[in-house]
Amino acid sequence: MVDAATGAAGISVGARRPSLHKLFQRKSTIAFLMALPLILLISLLVVYPAFYSLHLATLNKSMERFVGLGNFEFLFKRQTFWMVVEQSVLFAVTAVVFKALIGFFVAHFVHAIPSKGQRKWRGMLLVPWVIPPAMSTLAWFWLFDPSYSAFNWIFTKVGLGTIPFLGDAYWARFSVILVNVWFGAPFFMIMYLAALKSVPEQLYEAAAIDGASWWQRLWYVTLPMMRNIISITVLFSLIVTFANFDIVRVLTAGGPIDQTHVFATWAFKLGIESGDIPLGACVSLFMLPILGLSAVFILRDINKRGNEA
Amino acid sequence: MAKSHVSRRGVLKGAAAVSAVGLAAPFVRGAHAAGKLAVGFWDHWVPNANNGLTKLCNEWAAKEKVEITIDYITSQGNKNLLTIAAESQARSGHDLLAFPTWQPADQARHLEPVDDIMTELIKQNGKVNATVEYLGRSSGKWIAVPATPGSQIKGPCTRIDLLKQHAGIDIQAMYPAGAAPKADGWNMETFLMAAEKCHKAGVPFGIGLGQTSDSVDTAGAIFNSFGAALVDGKGNVVVKSDPVRQALDYYKKLIQYLPADVAAWDDASNNKWLVSGKGALIMNPPSAWAVAKRDAPQIAEQLWTHGMPAGPKGRYAPFLPYFWGIWNFSKNKPAAKSLLVHLSRKESAEALVAASGGYDLPSFANFTTFKTWAEESPPKGTLYHYPNPHDHQILSVTASQAPPKIAAQIYTQAIPTKMAVRHAQGEPMEKTLDWAAAECEGFSRT
Amino acid sequence: MASIAATAGGPTRPVRYGSISRNRRRALIWSYVFLVIFAVFFLLPPVYMLITSLKTSQEISAATNPWWVFNPTLQNYIELLSSNQYLTFFRNSALISIIVVTVTMLISVPAAFALARMKFWGSATLATGVFLTYLIPETLLFIPLFKTFAYVYEYTGIQLINNWWVLIVIYPTLTVPFCTWIMIGYFASIPKELDEAALIDGASYIQTLTKIFIPVALPGIIAATIFAFTVSWAQFLYPLAFTTSTDQLVLPVGIITTLIKGDVYNWGQVMTGALLGAAPPLIIYAFLMDYYIAGLTAGATKG
Repeated sequence: MVDAATGAAGISVGARRPSLHKLFQRKSTIAFLMALPLILLISLLVVYPAFYSLHLATLNKSMERFVGLGNFEFLFKRQTFWMVVEQSVLFAVTAVVFKALIGFFVAHFVHAIPSKGQRKWRGMLLVPWVIPPAMSTLAWFWLFDPSYSAFNWIFTKVGLGTIPFLGDAYWARFSVILVNVWFGAPFFMIMYLAALKSVPEQLYEAAAIDGASWWQRLWYVTLPMMRNIISITVLFSLIVTFANFDIVRVLTAGGPIDQTHVFATWAFKLGIESGDIPLGACVSLFMLPILGLSAVFILRDINKRGNEA
Repeated sequence: MAKSHVSRRGVLKGAAAVSAVGLAAPFVRGAHAAGKLAVGFWDHWVPNANNGLTKLCNEWAAKEKVEITIDYITSQGNKNLLTIAAESQARSGHDLLAFPTWQPADQARHLEPVDDIMTELIKQNGKVNATVEYLGRSSGKWIAVPATPGSQIKGPCTRIDLLKQHAGIDIQAMYPAGAAPKADGWNMETFLMAAEKCHKAGVPFGIGLGQTSDSVDTAGAIFNSFGAALVDGKGNVVVKSDPVRQALDYYKKLIQYLPADVAAWDDASNNKWLVSGKGALIMNPPSAWAVAKRDAPQIAEQLWTHGMPAGPKGRYAPFLPYFWGIWNFSKNKPAAKSLLVHLSRKESAEALVAASGGYDLPSFANFTTFKTWAEESPPKGTLYHYPNPHDHQILSVTASQAPPKIAAQIYTQAIPTKMAVRHAQGEPMEKTLDWAAAECEGFSRT
Repeated sequence: MASIAATAGGPTRPVRYGSISRNRRRALIWSYVFLVIFAVFFLLPPVYMLITSLKTSQEISAATNPWWVFNPTLQNYIELLSSNQYLTFFRNSALISIIVVTVTMLISVPAAFALARMKFWGSATLATGVFLTYLIPETLLFIPLFKTFAYVYEYTGIQLINNWWVLIVIYPTLTVPFCTWIMIGYFASIPKELDEAALIDGASYIQTLTKIFIPVALPGIIAATIFAFTVSWAQFLYPLAFTTSTDQLVLPVGIITTLIKGDVYNWGQVMTGALLGAAPPLIIYAFLMDYYIAGLTAGATKG
């Protein structure tokens, strides 16, 4: 079949241009040419800088001398570095868990209402994901402002006193995670909603006939059916959250006393703002292990899909 | 790399030849009249202050027949630092840039020496203080000219009514308009007492302890007034000393009387604090007063800018000069120098001060008594003491005991405020000092 | 899994799900209660942006009820929309996003076609590799790119830093892999018989792509286009690191660095700027919500 097809294409092109006949009749050549821009883009602007980053990480501050693992040694001795490691992990894990939970429940609520109204609710609930995060974080920043906080205005009115949203380490971490969850939960919601709709209604009917409770249906029917999507969405979100820059940068810029810095913001602070490019490269490279781990999971999943197909 | 070295040397020679002509003769005229100059100035946050500078530049450009392009680069989000870093990496961009406090020292090897014009300017305009020399000179050479726009003293700006009512201090009597201060009793202890009383009255002092310049400047001045140095002139870490402990103890006492979230304050937070009427005092140049005049006039009428309280080792005021520097890869150094001379004349400085509503501060000794400061109101004379007209306080910058390259990192990493917050949040003194010592040691990386 | 995205992609097709009517009324009421709570939480910041944008600085400074506008004014909007600077940010953002979307589609549609239908040596590895680039975030790449740009200038004299068009060169790294991935999925779901028939009829591969695949996979292409647009519009780190002059900035960076002026601030205007900056994606979303959602879900359900 394929041979016949190539032959046909070859004739139609090759009849006019005998000299290029050989080259262009080959299906694989055409395919390669079509994919070439993609290959160039990825190798020049993603793969090359990624490796270059490894090289940079081994240079001294003025980038004139090779220092091997000296930068890493230096980092390991910094208290701030370990704090950033902890915080990055804490942020990513906590935020993803809450995104997943909120997304899951909201998807259920949307799924539970008459389908007529679903589109409207779905539309409203996805808004946080649509607004560019730098813009929406600015609104949060203003909601948290020390002098003009709209939340604190309410708390003062009801006699609760004010909360130092961005001033206290724990509140600041809470605020960063809150904004992260606010931004990311709708994505989970929409993914789960798609998954929920793919669960055949007959399964629920069968379960209902067997007298299964709401929890049992959730546990034995919905969750197993959604397992793939949940794991993939969590993985995706973990990558994005772990590498997040905008939210922390706009909301706290890493403060107070570095207690909300994550890898990306700290790397920016060191590499670009403090002019220590190699050290910044080192810090951002620490995102690799966790991303690599995600890669393993994704690859496994892709292979699985490949086998099914 | 080799390529750029050769061309740079060539340009340097050219520049030296031109600068030999001297100040009296304009740098560019005659045959080489035209030419282009791209400058990047600090984007002033006082509305319309940029226009004053633009006007002076255009005057000069018309006279010298130079085609000038001006970019105003904000310091918000450290955009100007990013620009400087990017241009020095790329070795291209503007000819002349505004460099905040630490940047000239940091970029010294990329900057064109300006000894020729600085010598002349000091002769004409009076000497500059030790802080300007510390920041603007490197390896015995002037590498930047102190700029009027952006240079500021961040002394206290006080609510006259609240301080009188709650702390019993008449700040206008202490710092009378048009006369020398009678502020011998205005010291760190009085200051702490006033902070406590205003805190009790629900209008706490708004002194930031974040990582941006306002916060760090205040901390620097308070550290200096206790004689607390983190790194000495030779680059040795001297964190573990009694003056540092005293300064931290003082801060710990002070912080309990400040708003709960000062650790997250940025350069705008203190202004908002004052303008919203929530606080009795902040440490800031007169921009908060200017905003109040625009948005909350009844508060502006009660504001008074004055001097710092004295500590055991002297009365130090946070001073933050801006500089103008010329890249050594600039293609039109003579024009750049000529522009800097033009902008540093007395008339120019006076125009810039007026355009910024008194915010900007020329660094030359003869320029502290312009009439803008005497006349700005309400209330009349509110800015009189802002430029330190009676040389009553020592103008200093954070960590200035250390070599500039290390001090710059202490400053940008906000080590003093972080130390103060750590200790105040209950970390034992020695642990805070250990942490700071480790950070400071890291700053000697090359 | 793939079919979910495909069906969600058709906006005209009403979607039908089992009989809700059997659910108990109580559960329904609770669902609405929680939906309202979450909708309030989700919509709070944009609504607060709107409220603040209608206020004068005097009203904001006076620290009156922040949730209510006492003297509504459009002054902030008028000032921003007549300010050259803001319009420049807007123009830069719009130009960059449109060009990036075009470039993305020109790269990813043929590549996806080649990878989905025309196997060549290494094509399977490449397909996986494309997906894996998602794992190298921009937060890891900006530092080496920054240094690379400096080298490019040193050796070729082409200045990449502080030029808005450099963003056109680097944004596709964020959009192309994902769009290619979406398109591979869409193309793979098109029945093989369709293109085989076309090829037998003498159509070239290019013709097969333009005459059959692109029309059939149009919902997917629209979804990918929207995705590429939103990503380019919202990108913050690259423009922050690579552009500095005010006339080179894009909206997110422009608003954050030039509208907030440190000591002198005007939050009414900042919020107006942010709201206007959020408007284009919101408008596209309002009209093409179903494609948008299809684009989002396609990526993961196929992953």
